[in-house]
Amino acid sequence: MIDQFVVFTPSGQVLYNFSSQSKRFAEVQVNKVVSQLITNGARKDEGSHKYTTLKFDQFAGMCSIRNSPAIVFLSIYAAQDIEQTREAEQILDLGTKLWDSLGLNQAVEQNTSKQRAHKNQHNFTWILQNCDVQIAKFDEYFKVKIDAIKAGKPKGKEVRTKSGPQLAKSAKNSSANGKSRKWGRDGIMEDNSTPGDMSSLDFSTEGTPELTPSNVIKVDKDAFGTRTDKGEFLIKEIDELLSKNKGVSAKKANSSTGAFAFLQKHLLGNKSIVQDDLTTILQKLKQQLIAKNVAPEAADHLASRVSQNLIGTTTANWTSVENTARESLQQALTEILTPGVSVDLLREIQQKTWSSGKKTPYVFSVVGVNGVGKSTNLSKLAFWLLQNNFRVLIVACDTFRSGAVEQLRVHVENLAQLTDESHTRGSRNRRGKTGNDFVELFEAGYGGSDLVTKIAKQAIKYASDQSFDIVLMDTAGRRHNDPTLMSPLKPFADQAKPDKIIMVGEALVGTDSVQQAQNFNAAFGKERNLDFFIISKCDTVGEMLGTMVNMVYATGIPILFIGVGQTYTDLRTLSVEWAVDTLMS
Amino acid sequence: MIELSNTVLVSFLVLLITTALLLIVQKNSANIIPGHKVTNRDPTFIIAGPSGSGKTSLFNMLTTDTFKPTVMSQVPNVAEDYMLPSITKSFKFKLLEFPGHVKLRYRLFDALKESTSLKGLIFVVDSTVDPQKLTETAEFLYDILALTERFPEGVGIMIACNKSESFSARPPLKIREALEKEIGKHIERKAKSLSAVNKAGGVSGENNEDESGAASLEFQSGRQFTFDALDGNVDAIEGSVLKSQIEKWECWIDERSVN
Repeated sequence: MIDQFVVFTPSGQVLYNFSSQSKRFAEVQVNKVVSQLITNGARKDEGSHKYTTLKFDQFAGMCSIRNSPAIVFLSIYAAQDIEQTREAEQILDLGTKLWDSLGLNQAVEQNTSKQRAHKNQHNFTWILQNCDVQIAKFDEYFKVKIDAIKAGKPKGKEVRTKSGPQLAKSAKNSSANGKSRKWGRDGIMEDNSTPGDMSSLDFSTEGTPELTPSNVIKVDKDAFGTRTDKGEFLIKEIDELLSKNKGVSAKKANSSTGAFAFLQKHLLGNKSIVQDDLTTILQKLKQQLIAKNVAPEAADHLASRVSQNLIGTTTANWTSVENTARESLQQALTEILTPGVSVDLLREIQQKTWSSGKKTPYVFSVVGVNGVGKSTNLSKLAFWLLQNNFRVLIVACDTFRSGAVEQLRVHVENLAQLTDESHTRGSRNRRGKTGNDFVELFEAGYGGSDLVTKIAKQAIKYASDQSFDIVLMDTAGRRHNDPTLMSPLKPFADQAKPDKIIMVGEALVGTDSVQQAQNFNAAFGKERNLDFFIISKCDTVGEMLGTMVNMVYATGIPILFIGVGQTYTDLRTLSVEWAVDTLMS
Repeated sequence: MIELSNTVLVSFLVLLITTALLLIVQKNSANIIPGHKVTNRDPTFIIAGPSGSGKTSLFNMLTTDTFKPTVMSQVPNVAEDYMLPSITKSFKFKLLEFPGHVKLRYRLFDALKESTSLKGLIFVVDSTVDPQKLTETAEFLYDILALTERFPEGVGIMIACNKSESFSARPPLKIREALEKEIGKHIERKAKSLSAVNKAGGVSGENNEDESGAASLEFQSGRQFTFDALDGNVDAIEGSVLKSQIEKWECWIDERSVN
């Protein structure tokens, strides 16, 4: 059984809510769903459902999002087996149809439009002004139908006999339409929910208009027979309402053509947008994005987000559809690139190193494909941290590639010289290690993957003994589609427990970046994700910043820094505004 | 001769009308092109704050005088020509309420940049939150301040300490103090952080619009950040949407809207 059914607007107003077992309305779950919608957008990856499904640890949500008027229907259910999912779908079907049938859309539209009639003392019209009757009706009908759906489950037989004519009716209809998906797996018809289903079938098949009146008559007859049962009678009434509605909605779909429509589209504005208007424009915008190195997959997602936001809405006055689409795309890009969590490394470092009485080092580890600039960006990061008076231990966990340790040693020598001018290259500090008091290299030669975790653990222990603030671990570059190379990452993360895992990706890479980000993110297991990206070599691509979008799109993980040059100071935080402007230009 | 001049006149007229039309269209459509901003000239009050603090509830309370269930917002709530009944003369203003989700805050920042007549900003916070955990809220407030302080006289900000009915609610002065302290720390950290990229392809310029706003904040604070050093007043007032105890807040709005 579903937990909740909620109707709300994107602006956060709850229009209707239903909780099973008359529990209190729980915003927490709904908020989780909305938050997910904001961060990821509504991705329709499962083609089997007609609604967007979002899954969480404890529950799943299925929602239907509309634009005119902007309303979200959401049903939340506990388990995730097929039975539950189908039930949630039925309830959504029912909810949306009932909503349409009761004329609530028109009421909402009227209340939100400019020329509204009823204004209260605040000169404001509540979105459901004067809709109390309809909402009450909706509530009544909805509960009856829910009960019916609920009852249909455990005592299917009984209900089946009770509503025999109905079954026959739907059987007739289903044979007419040649569809049999309304039958339960056990062979028993999900009878009470079928009227909802059936009207959806009727929607899709236009060749059966003559069926409708006969249905209504039949239903009326049925109603006579079962009038004793109040619930049953109501169901007939609801079905009647639902079947009546489709005639209305079918009439509505007509679009104006000719010169005026052209003007509206390109000049005057105030045009309600349909799919056809957007197809060519989105194609163009997609091409533009792809030219900027955005992966086709990510571009498709952005385009679908735009069309989802726009279809059914009306353009502003004096605004062409194209400009509206551009603006919407800009918004979608901004939303994708903006980090979902606040990112303040210095704060987190301070919190960790000083919270407990004993000083514990803050551990970063850097991962990435070969040659993207892991060591270079690690050194840049080290330089920035050194400038903030942290003591940094750099750990050479790349034990595969020859020269990797030596390369880091050169970086450490450089950094030591930059922090302390009297430092002589090649000298050892008082602990006998490369570097000086502020920055030091921890090395243990070359070897297999078990050596890597050993080094990591030793280094962290060493750092806390010697009261370092930061530990920076360089890892070996690895190809993201080679499982034998990727598999050591999980034990490494489990053992070393870095506070932040940073993936370095290069701006040059293009479409493959989606896969790179996904595979690296998956490599740490279910419990652990990447924390940040550093996008390197941004100075080499000019305006083609698509890689940023790809990586964030693929994982939802924010970009922390971008590398914009060769020297230690060429590390910057990402400015979303700048990135979006560059991509849209 | 006369006929000829007539045709010339007519053609001139047609030319004039078309150019005028074109100009109007261009001017209007220019607003939509990214970079050019549509400015909001109406007197405006803005409700902002972190997620789950009760902004939409407050909006509903202000507009309909009733408490309504809400969920996380995705788009702003707007009430054009809003009126408070307590105000004697019929002063109307625009009431905007913005979502608190981190990813959607850009809308608020855009609106702050585009508005010319901001009367006040209501920053709703959940007063049951431990003052130690106000860091992110403080950062958000800092970002808002960086924009509002660009107005010549600043913008009055009310820290609306919501949920005062709860037994674990903190007194508003304590919240204000905590926010002040956290903003001070944030400014210190910000000075140490790496700068953002800009179009020049490298170092962030000081002439950047946002940057200069932020810089002025730091300049004013000098050694320690205080709300008093700002151009706009920052008041912390308690209230509860759930118990419809929002009179104090309405009074605050009332005061702002008069001048």
